[in-house]
Amino acid sequence: MHTEPGVFGAISHPARRRMLDLLADGDRPVNAIAENFEMSRPAVSQHLRVLLDAGLVTEQRHGRERRYRLVPERLEPVRDWLAHYERFWDDNFIRLRRHLEKGDE
Amino acid sequence: MTTKTIRRELKFTQPPAVVWRALATREALADWMYPNDFEPRVGHRFTFRVPPDPRAQFDGLVVHCEVLRCVPPSELEFTWVVGEGWLDTRVTYRLEADGDGTRVLFAHSGFKEDQAFHGAEYGWKMMHGKLDKTLKTALKA
Repeated sequence: MHTEPGVFGAISHPARRRMLDLLADGDRPVNAIAENFEMSRPAVSQHLRVLLDAGLVTEQRHGRERRYRLVPERLEPVRDWLAHYERFWDDNFIRLRRHLEKGDE
Repeated sequence: MTTKTIRRELKFTQPPAVVWRALATREALADWMYPNDFEPRVGHRFTFRVPPDPRAQFDGLVVHCEVLRCVPPSELEFTWVVGEGWLDTRVTYRLEADGDGTRVLFAHSGFKEDQAFHGAEYGWKMMHGKLDKTLKTALKA
């Protein structure tokens, strides 16, 4: 079971978001992913590792090649982020209420 | 692209003039929101400075706002922009007398889905930090 902060941490890096965008178009081997970036191969692998650990991608071996696949369901918590903003306001409005009650004393 | 809106209807026992002061004065906003340089006039640009919270791994955040509408004690509207425009939204308050008290219609509008994706790095941690505090307060109570 992956936790939500793992997912948000994973997509907090622009390169990893770009990788997810690429994989949204279809499965890709690591070479095809790496050619879109100016970073070193180990750096690309490290970013893919973060995505794997967050459960946002899976890895399949085809002979000597490893292909990466997006797991779109894992992005659900990101789509739910509005709910977190709702809670942010509910939280603030509790403080607004307290602020007004202080004034009544 | 479709946008989403957060809406709330809030009821207070205090009259509109009192609720208005809580929504539209710098000192009151600093008390229940964040440090700010609000002024109640259309066209005024101000910020809310959300302080860092190392425990929630949150670096702090500046929300950029501009007053779009200010009609005491009944209508207040301002922009709510975060980051390099990734979150370009709008906050409105409408106050109505409700017996001796006040009914406030709140809306935060203009959320787009791609903003969620790019905004996660700011937004999630901020919400998490706040949520954490609320839960702790609730547990103590």
